[in-house]
Amino acid sequence: MNRSARRPVRRLTSRLLVGVALAAFLVFFVLPVLWLLLAATKTDQQLVHGNPLSFGSFRALGDNWHALTSFQDDAVMLWLRNSALYSVISLAITLVVAIPAGYALAMTEFRGRRTLLIATLVVMLMPNATLVVPLFLELNAVRLIGTMWSIILPYAFYPFGVYLTYIYFTTAVPKDLLAAARIDGCSEFRVFWHIALPLATPVIALVGFFSFVANWTNYFLPYVMLPESDQMPIQVGVGTLLSNVPSFNPAVGSLAIERPQLALATLLAITPVLIVFLFAQRFLVSGMLAGATKE
Amino acid sequence: MTVKNPSSGRERTSGKRRAALLACCAAAAALTLTACSSGGGTGTTAKDGFAQAPQKDGALTVWVDATRMDAAKLYQQLHPEVKLDIVSYDGDANGSNYLQTKVQLFNRTGKGWPDVVFSSQNNEASWAVDAGFAAPLNKGLVPADTLGKFAEGANNPCTVDGTVYCLRNDLSQAVLWYNAPLMKQFGYQLPTTWEEYQALGEKVAAEHPGYLVGDAGDSYTPEIYLWASKCGANHITGPKAVSVNTSGEACTKMAKLMDTLITDKSMSISGVFSTDFAKNQADKVLLMPGPAWYGGAVFKDTLKTPAKTIGAAPLPQWKGDSSPSTGNVGGGTWLLSQHSEHLKAATDFLTWVTTDTAYQGEKAPGFPAHAPSAEAWLKGQDASGYFASDLSALKTASSQVWNGWGSGQYSQEAIWAATVKPGMTQGKTIVSMLPAWQEAIVKYAESDGYKVSS
Amino acid sequence: MTLTPSRATSAGRRPRGAAPQGWAGTAFVAAYVILLVAFGVLPTAYAVYFAFTDAGGAFTGFANFVTTAKDFRFLDGVGHVALYLACWLLSLVVFVVALALLLHRLASGTVSKALRFLFYIPGALAGAASVLVWLFMLDPTVSPVNSLLSMLGFHTFGEVIAPGNLPVLFTIIAFWTGAGGWIVVMYGALNNIPMDVVEAARIDGAGPWQTAWHVQIPMLRKWIVYMVILAFAGGAQLFVEPQLLSQASVGVAGRDYSLNQLTYDFAFQMNNINGAAAVSVELLVVSVSAAAVFVARSGFFDAD
Repeated sequence: MNRSARRPVRRLTSRLLVGVALAAFLVFFVLPVLWLLLAATKTDQQLVHGNPLSFGSFRALGDNWHALTSFQDDAVMLWLRNSALYSVISLAITLVVAIPAGYALAMTEFRGRRTLLIATLVVMLMPNATLVVPLFLELNAVRLIGTMWSIILPYAFYPFGVYLTYIYFTTAVPKDLLAAARIDGCSEFRVFWHIALPLATPVIALVGFFSFVANWTNYFLPYVMLPESDQMPIQVGVGTLLSNVPSFNPAVGSLAIERPQLALATLLAITPVLIVFLFAQRFLVSGMLAGATKE
Repeated sequence: MTVKNPSSGRERTSGKRRAALLACCAAAAALTLTACSSGGGTGTTAKDGFAQAPQKDGALTVWVDATRMDAAKLYQQLHPEVKLDIVSYDGDANGSNYLQTKVQLFNRTGKGWPDVVFSSQNNEASWAVDAGFAAPLNKGLVPADTLGKFAEGANNPCTVDGTVYCLRNDLSQAVLWYNAPLMKQFGYQLPTTWEEYQALGEKVAAEHPGYLVGDAGDSYTPEIYLWASKCGANHITGPKAVSVNTSGEACTKMAKLMDTLITDKSMSISGVFSTDFAKNQADKVLLMPGPAWYGGAVFKDTLKTPAKTIGAAPLPQWKGDSSPSTGNVGGGTWLLSQHSEHLKAATDFLTWVTTDTAYQGEKAPGFPAHAPSAEAWLKGQDASGYFASDLSALKTASSQVWNGWGSGQYSQEAIWAATVKPGMTQGKTIVSMLPAWQEAIVKYAESDGYKVSS
Repeated sequence: MTLTPSRATSAGRRPRGAAPQGWAGTAFVAAYVILLVAFGVLPTAYAVYFAFTDAGGAFTGFANFVTTAKDFRFLDGVGHVALYLACWLLSLVVFVVALALLLHRLASGTVSKALRFLFYIPGALAGAASVLVWLFMLDPTVSPVNSLLSMLGFHTFGEVIAPGNLPVLFTIIAFWTGAGGWIVVMYGALNNIPMDVVEAARIDGAGPWQTAWHVQIPMLRKWIVYMVILAFAGGAQLFVEPQLLSQASVGVAGRDYSLNQLTYDFAFQMNNINGAAAVSVELLVVSVSAAAVFVARSGFFDAD
């Protein structure tokens, strides 16, 4: 009797704890973003003197928008366009290349499988700083420096996605399922296309999303590779804006960009990522395997 | 754990793989070769003090930061016949090393260099000469007559062993900015010596607590105070040699002055660009030693000080010092590439952008290094009606920058920010940190390959 | 579990099966192998070549390693990175797994979905974009959490970014940006655990904690190992966070903090790509060794 009486109480406290923990993390993750959203609606003065979490005014937001878009003749839109172009093309290549590779590593046996797994892991762990020089020389040797391919191709190489796919298939898709299909006389390609791929929707969404984000947020590679300023993606653009804010670069000399405008540029830079996330999230929720697995 | 099950199919794959491996090795070898043949070498002619590449027609590539974009655009507008490819970059702000990084890569591939570059750093010559990038300018490219019209010492940071490798865009000589109405209201006189300055600071602390006679919280603080005081912390004595001595009297007496005023709280340690300063101290500035660009960038734009409030006076001097001196904070430079295939057009652009009053005199945000342009610029500032005094103090100071403080490859500002600033926040005195500061400078200088003496 | 037994048994039954499967596997990875060699193996091999040669390309043995280890920033960097790694790995593994489990347990799918999205948002804020955010978060004068900061005894930005606080600050920043993505991954992995397994545990009388500990976490093993391997390497290569704080504080905190920052200094400021390569190779060796330990102990490569 005693036990059964205590039980609901314990469950209630445990629920409460869970609620508090989730709420605390929610504040941690969201508060800075909320601040950023509000910052874009303020003037630089308000940003410093006003309440950090107050709304500025639509007028200030409009002014910030105007000031931001007039920076180098609407360079912001150009940067966003460039980012979209680079990210989407390399995303497409990544999906075509990484998903079959991850599938093959997980579900088939071939010579060099283990070598490939190890090589992928090792290059993934290599620090980037020293890879830039070899990459630059390599792309120069094939005359791609100056073209958008000098960053799209390195972006398209996405070992992280190969591993995601690999782990997904090894943990979530039973081998027997494919073996059965093979015995039924399906060709390897048909097994992949008709059985494995439909089961892989969640991981395709995951790889696609992470690849897009990785491409979209990459700063250093385009910063070093691309010779023309009108080729720059948004991340490098935001860096340029940052170097025109006096509090981050005292020597800039004249006030070209104020902090609320930088906040607005930042918001513009992250919006596509968030849209893609919401889109991808629809496919991430799967559970479609729950029935198919019998182990 | 690998399954060994050789079959004819596998044999063939591994054969193919071997071929692929060979191809890779060949590619790697090709890369190595490219890496070794660092640019130029063939078909060059020695002229104007360096080996010039064969000259060609084609667009002139110019790299500028966002602020100097106006200069390049104005040039294009006035010279429609010149084909210009204007590239905007971060101007090497905050030591981003963008230019150096790219030049290293271009040196390996043997192409891609811009013809003319603006940099917001004034120490580019310290590496650009070694890297074979910066062209000597006083060996024929730019006439001595033109070079002579720059403010005295303006091109010192560009000079290595007597050869000028870049031209200064603007000067950042330190002066004493002051709040004219407030000075009048309090009934104070502008200090002309550091002794008077300190006395005034102590008086302000007692009579008007909260008001400031200066700020010591920025990374370039040593360049305002210690440079002006002739402190030998950064004396570049040769292309790769520096003498560092922070324990001389010139250093300690200024450090003591600062410590006294910091304790009195009439000298802030927030930094003029910090939010703390903007929020709590913006309207408390009575005096402020600072570089030429403080007038626009700090008072007008950041602190939004109203017009007719701020004036400029000469920086105080130590009593009895017969040679007035001041410090310098930054000031951009223009470099011309040795590899340029359009030297004539490049030199034209370089000369125009640094000396023509159409840009330097009328449009430039900073105090022009070129003296005749500076005259025109000062007239423009006077006409704008923002300042409470004329800015002739800037002109006087422009030739008084003490030449015992150089521009090394390492960043003095970064060293001060990382070594001294955290200690100041904890309440340590600057005097007590001078030895640690010296030690840090020596370490950075040595790791950049400098021979250090003291 | 190794593959050998199953292959041995199936080989007899499917004499023609083995070779085509081998072929197909190779065909599926072919395009990837090209990219791997071009943008992974070749640059890495070239960097290793740099590490053992001088600027002129002459073999120098371990000279670059010795020179860089003698740099005055090197040992400090090692210490900083080790401290940071401890904070970072611990917080990442514990909180990511815990949060994913909690979100997975939430009865309401909509709330869980919304929370995953909100937790993820900072992941989109990379590099330069978050300099502004962190300057304003950590500066008590303007921070939305200034009451929290002053409760902890911080009244100026300078006090917040005092050297002793840096490992914690970097962990917070890295966790803020990086955790959301991993939570999504773990959540997806939890979704793939068959319902009946969890159900069975519940019927056997296991509470939510026991189910998590004895059933769900073991089944997430591979994902957790993958996360730890990458988080270890990422932590050892700490770069973005100190760089970001250094920009926010105009150089007061975070410059020359980590080894990877040192490699950038060597490569792009001191024109010593060979020294940079040497430090990179060291970081690579450390990360690979750690990975090898995890891989060996978890059967990570087994296609079971």
